[in-house]
Amino acid sequence: MRGIVPNMAPLNTDTPYRATPDPEGDSQSSSSNSPARADYEESDFYQGNNDSQSSIGVPTFQDMAVSEEVCMPPANRLPAEVLIGIFSKLSTPQDLLNCMCVSKRWARNSVDLLWHRPACTTWNKHGSICRTLSIANPYFAYRDFIKRLNLATLADGVNDGSVFPLSVCTRVERLTLTNCEGLTDHGLKGLLTDCSHLLALDISGDTQITEASMFTLAENCRRLQGLNISGCTKISNESMIKVAERCRYIKRLKLNECEQLEDPAIMAFAKNCPNILEIDLHQCKLIGNDPVHALLTNGQTLRELRLANCELISDSAFLTLPPNQTYEHLRILDLTSCARLTDRAVEKIIDVAPRLRNLVFAKCRNLTDLAVNAISKLGKNLHYLHLGHCGQITDAAVMKLVQSCNRIRYIDLGCCTHLTDLSVMKLASLPKLRRIGLVKCSSITDESVYALAQAQRPRHDRHGRVMRPDDPDYMVGSSLERVHLSYCTNLTLSSIVVLLNNCQKLTHLSLTGVQAFLRSDLEQFCRDAPPEFTEHQRNVFCVFSGQGVTGLRNHLNRRQTPTSGYDDPMTGADDGDDQTMTGMVGATALMGMNALNGDDEDADEELEDGDGGADGGVSFHQT
Amino acid sequence: MAASESTRITLVSNDGAEVHVERNVAERSMLIKNMMEDLGEAAMTQSVPIPNVNESVLKKVIEWCEHHKNDPPAAADDDSDSRKKTTDIEEWDQKFMQVDQEMLFEIILASNYLDIKPLLDVGCKTVANMIKGKSPEEIRKTFNITNDFTPEEEEQIRRENEWAEDR
Repeated sequence: MRGIVPNMAPLNTDTPYRATPDPEGDSQSSSSNSPARADYEESDFYQGNNDSQSSIGVPTFQDMAVSEEVCMPPANRLPAEVLIGIFSKLSTPQDLLNCMCVSKRWARNSVDLLWHRPACTTWNKHGSICRTLSIANPYFAYRDFIKRLNLATLADGVNDGSVFPLSVCTRVERLTLTNCEGLTDHGLKGLLTDCSHLLALDISGDTQITEASMFTLAENCRRLQGLNISGCTKISNESMIKVAERCRYIKRLKLNECEQLEDPAIMAFAKNCPNILEIDLHQCKLIGNDPVHALLTNGQTLRELRLANCELISDSAFLTLPPNQTYEHLRILDLTSCARLTDRAVEKIIDVAPRLRNLVFAKCRNLTDLAVNAISKLGKNLHYLHLGHCGQITDAAVMKLVQSCNRIRYIDLGCCTHLTDLSVMKLASLPKLRRIGLVKCSSITDESVYALAQAQRPRHDRHGRVMRPDDPDYMVGSSLERVHLSYCTNLTLSSIVVLLNNCQKLTHLSLTGVQAFLRSDLEQFCRDAPPEFTEHQRNVFCVFSGQGVTGLRNHLNRRQTPTSGYDDPMTGADDGDDQTMTGMVGATALMGMNALNGDDEDADEELEDGDGGADGGVSFHQT
Repeated sequence: MAASESTRITLVSNDGAEVHVERNVAERSMLIKNMMEDLGEAAMTQSVPIPNVNESVLKKVIEWCEHHKNDPPAAADDDSDSRKKTTDIEEWDQKFMQVDQEMLFEIILASNYLDIKPLLDVGCKTVANMIKGKSPEEIRKTFNITNDFTPEEEEQIRRENEWAEDR
């Protein structure tokens, strides 16, 4: 029994229905993960207690009597699992509710679909759901149907009182309480107690939560596979060790900004949880080399390792890895600001993880061309590379990289100040390039921008000559979507006009601090500066996105050569393209909780995609 | 056609009709496919009884299998598919499903029995589309279902599931 909710009338969960006047069985065997149960073979249809009146449902078809079915309305002959199959195609709760009201049989077969993931999207609905759960003698045992609970949309107002009525639900598999800052251990422990089916817990941003809840989690939720405690800085190392020891099926861990966590906590996960797929330790500043080494060597399936701002990490985390072993599953490695790392670590990493796809070494300032040459060995596996602030890199390494890794879609070389037009002209030849960050590459000139604008599949005119980029018919299939050129101070309007006209998929263009664009007539197309910017930052801020790009393009065309202006055929598609791109970034950056929750609405969070966090222009704000 | 190259087998409906069909078409049915594997060579010479499906339904189902015989196998991951809950149906299937209700449910039952998941799916979507937006009473009328709730019971269900109401 649960101590937390003494005022709740206990329900006998062995008899889920109060009203079962007829002996018909129902497909109650809920498969544990799928919201809509496609696994008919699991239904008790095959265990001989189906309620089908259809001949087809009769276990031995010799028994079937053709005569009896004639008088039945055909809909009544559908076996339970087919009825459930039909109801699972309905998308709105209202439709499911209407089905519930049709007949007792329909109600029995639709009720758990309706309650699988009750929509706590407004306080009204939340109140109504809680009222029903607290009824002493409800028509159905609704509490047992609830598999997913998500209070993220109500986060601002959630406190212990708002989760108490929900703590009667002991079959919850996914519990999402993102940013419920008002929630304390008192409320969360109630939810977790007896919740032995829990697979995923997201309490990111629930800053009041402490080790007390984690001990309850470890005690009750042995099947846990995903845990997100980002920003929960009151959770102790000791309690996380307990979680690691008890919840050994964990696959996905997000511990971002848990600056209190130390090596032993992470070591415990590395030791006890061999199935870890993804772990994000962003800003766990106390983490050293041992956990990194242990996660790599113990994890048989580690796919994603994020260690941004774990500043203590040094070469030996990687150099001590056994010589003859490779980590084929590793796809994503983020070592942003692990500033102690040198070329030797990068060489070792590439040797042991040859299938890396996304690689982030932003602000690893020791890295030189040797590191880039090592990265080049990834060849076509490499899709995403961030080397912002690796200021020692030169053109030679970048050109070699492009030669070997021609499937790069995203590259950031912000603040790599040695780079010149030679690098960008080579980068422009990447056939799948969607996004390029060159913030503060101050040596580059209009030549670079022309190259980016032209390089991608230039059209030939009917005489077989490559069209000039300023030819109005020069429409290229450029894949470029996001271009970051802030503080490339040599750039002028004329190259940008060509870029705008040739890259019709462009949805983002940043030109902060470029003198040629600090003009009042362009302001109307510029995005608003973030509120935290200083006066000076506001004055130089110059970022165009979405419709702003279209507006800028049309404006510049009208201004310069009124006759050659393009109508933008892609305008309608911009949003879609934008999503494709952020989708890709999101898929990697947010993989943890998206996959963890499996709920589409949980995936809506969009990466801040400005020149701030995600790309090389971090410094962009600071100057 | 490649009929000569492809082996034909004979299915027998529950009303005794023989239906000749290409083996690869019939094997859209996992039940038949498994049966063929169990029977081995014997399946080529013997006829295969389909005791739960009558001739007209069997022919209708075969028509669907014929049209879809070259479909790629469905993704093993049923889960992602069902999550979308889409009730979109491709045009040919929509036309195919324009039959009286008796036949519609017979097709669904037969595809369930014969284990033809994509056809069952289309059938379920078709019925779901008939349900969408209808009140309980309209649904009962559409499918000729008797309301076996007392008014009090129906009211209780409404009250307890109030959150699901659109508003």
